[in-house]
Amino acid sequence: MSEPRSRDHDEFLAAARAAVAGSTGADALDALGWWDLLGMLDDPDARAATFALFRAHGRELGDTPALGALAAAPYFATDDGTRTVMAFSRPATGGGFAHTLLGTPVTERILVDTGAAAPVLVEAAEVTLTPVAVPGRLTIHAVTVAEGAGIPVTPADGLEAARARSAFLARVAAAYEILGAAEGAFALAIDHANGRVQFGQPIGTFQAVRHLLAWAVTDTRAVESVTDVARDLDVAAPPRFDEIVKALAGRNGRRACERSLQVLGAIGFTAELDHHHFHSRVLALDAVAGTSAELATALGAWVRAERPDPRIAPAVLSA
Amino acid sequence: MPDPTLVADVGAYAAAVDGWCATRPPALAAAVRPIPDYATRVEVMSDLLGALFDAGWSRYGWPETLGGLGGSILHRGAMWQTLAAHGVASMAVFEHLEVLLPTLAALGPTDFVADALPAFLSGRERWAQGFSEPDAGSDLAALRTRAVLDGDAYRITGRKIWTSWAKYGTWCLVLARTGTTESRHRGLTAFVVDLRHPGVEVRAIEQANGTDELAEVTFDDVPVPATRIVGDLDGGWKVAMHILSHERGTYAWFRQCFMYRDLIGHVADGPAVSDRAVGDALCDIAAVAATSGEGLRLHASGATLGPRATITKLLLCEAERSIQDAVLAGNADLALAPLDDTTALLRQEYLFSRIVTVYGGSQQMQLETIAKQLLELP
Repeated sequence: MSEPRSRDHDEFLAAARAAVAGSTGADALDALGWWDLLGMLDDPDARAATFALFRAHGRELGDTPALGALAAAPYFATDDGTRTVMAFSRPATGGGFAHTLLGTPVTERILVDTGAAAPVLVEAAEVTLTPVAVPGRLTIHAVTVAEGAGIPVTPADGLEAARARSAFLARVAAAYEILGAAEGAFALAIDHANGRVQFGQPIGTFQAVRHLLAWAVTDTRAVESVTDVARDLDVAAPPRFDEIVKALAGRNGRRACERSLQVLGAIGFTAELDHHHFHSRVLALDAVAGTSAELATALGAWVRAERPDPRIAPAVLSA
Repeated sequence: MPDPTLVADVGAYAAAVDGWCATRPPALAAAVRPIPDYATRVEVMSDLLGALFDAGWSRYGWPETLGGLGGSILHRGAMWQTLAAHGVASMAVFEHLEVLLPTLAALGPTDFVADALPAFLSGRERWAQGFSEPDAGSDLAALRTRAVLDGDAYRITGRKIWTSWAKYGTWCLVLARTGTTESRHRGLTAFVVDLRHPGVEVRAIEQANGTDELAEVTFDDVPVPATRIVGDLDGGWKVAMHILSHERGTYAWFRQCFMYRDLIGHVADGPAVSDRAVGDALCDIAAVAATSGEGLRLHASGATLGPRATITKLLLCEAERSIQDAVLAGNADLALAPLDDTTALLRQEYLFSRIVTVYGGSQQMQLETIAKQLLELP
């Protein structure tokens, strides 16, 4: 690939990987100028840089609250200098909602929007954060919000518009992070296929192994292509394209990790190799903003009920 | 005369084609009916191509020097997408417009293609692709059909099989050996052979889904003028790779246009099947649209997909299968009682989805191409 657009994106990704590697927490986001970037997402370059950061986040197993910050941004018209992150909510077993914060938490404000009631902004002091210990090098906290805590949020452009934009950005960003993490798992498998010798030759010479890896790169390439379309088309993307992107990313990200694990063999299922971190990162991100199973089921019901037109027009490809 | 606005603006062009379709021209109305009989489908689609040519629409996307009206592959992608949205079920017999024709337009021979392109676009003539042989399938470089220079013509002798649409074709793009057998892929040349010429024998092969799109073709000392070489003498491998880049890459765009119709039309109406399966199929189509759409954009800018086209082909096959799995789940009549035209056609399409992993290079060869050329495995 030698076209200029692709080169720019490669540069964004390389810069993002360098920035994310080894840095954690909200401070790392400060260093990236992250909070300024959030106000510029209508600009294609700013959007590309933002999403490249998430791919790098997955690839380098970065630990920042970037996803929650991105999801929170559409609820607020202007940046007042206060750093807000969204907790991701999902129906809890036994009723109510469970809320999760991803990344080393910022200390100021947490946005909670279950979709079932008005969104509220709670001060960090008003919530209880319970650390969740899973691999993936991603700090995860279960958030307990006291009854009646927080102040209601009224987005300037209307609640539904804010929710839709938040979901679009969070899903596409999570898909990019899944892509990066799956690529990380895949890179380990490629190294192993080249280096591991059995029967007197590298296992990457065996078709059974080669084909597993070819399928794995096909899985990730599919995710890359739809995420790139979402990034480029943004608000001009076909209806519910963010859900398609996220469903595909979750499904294919898991597949790519599973195929990579099979190539790695038992060593891939140990704490000695990073595969489990990449795999757990994919599982964690598949579980926020709609799992692949939930989204695919909802999309199927939509197709059957409404006969939508989810086509990508060639005219927008050349834009 | 081309409309410069439509050449420059693919969106305006798509809207214009859409407007034409909305007037329901008789050739379009005939083509949207389910037609299980393949020979009838060929006739009806040829008529539709004639109408599209007369209206000028199919000439956009092809160079003016070759009888087109200018524009790029994006125009062609938009035209077929619009036709699919208006109910056309497939490109039936005209798939080579997007498999062979881009290569003919790019690699010549220019004088011949300037005549052949309008004849193909207007449905008056059709094309076949003669690559595989009884002893050269996945191992294409082992092919034995020979072309021997005799004066200013080459005489072609040999046997091709799985030759697409030869029964309905006027011309066949034949890959033949001009070097020694040991020269493998370096000693091949691509010729345009007139299928009507004495010495050419076409035996159509009835397929498991009831169609006869493929054939066995024998060439017995058939003269072909040297002016009908595509690309360079001994440059047939490059021609074949150019074609495969389209067959595996950009063609997927044209195929996926019809997939939405298959999924939405046949699954939405059918008995309840798993929403999850339908949603997964929708995701699979999106992946094909996105990867092949990138191929379209690259080709429009003068670049190519190269070996990455193989990934698009794998994704296309996955999508074909997942859609037809969903269709089968909701249509038992497909297996038990394909009595009406719609169900008979569904059966054809379902069965075809089980063999898509073979055409254009078997899936195993695609996986090897990815392993070797993209992943650079040992």
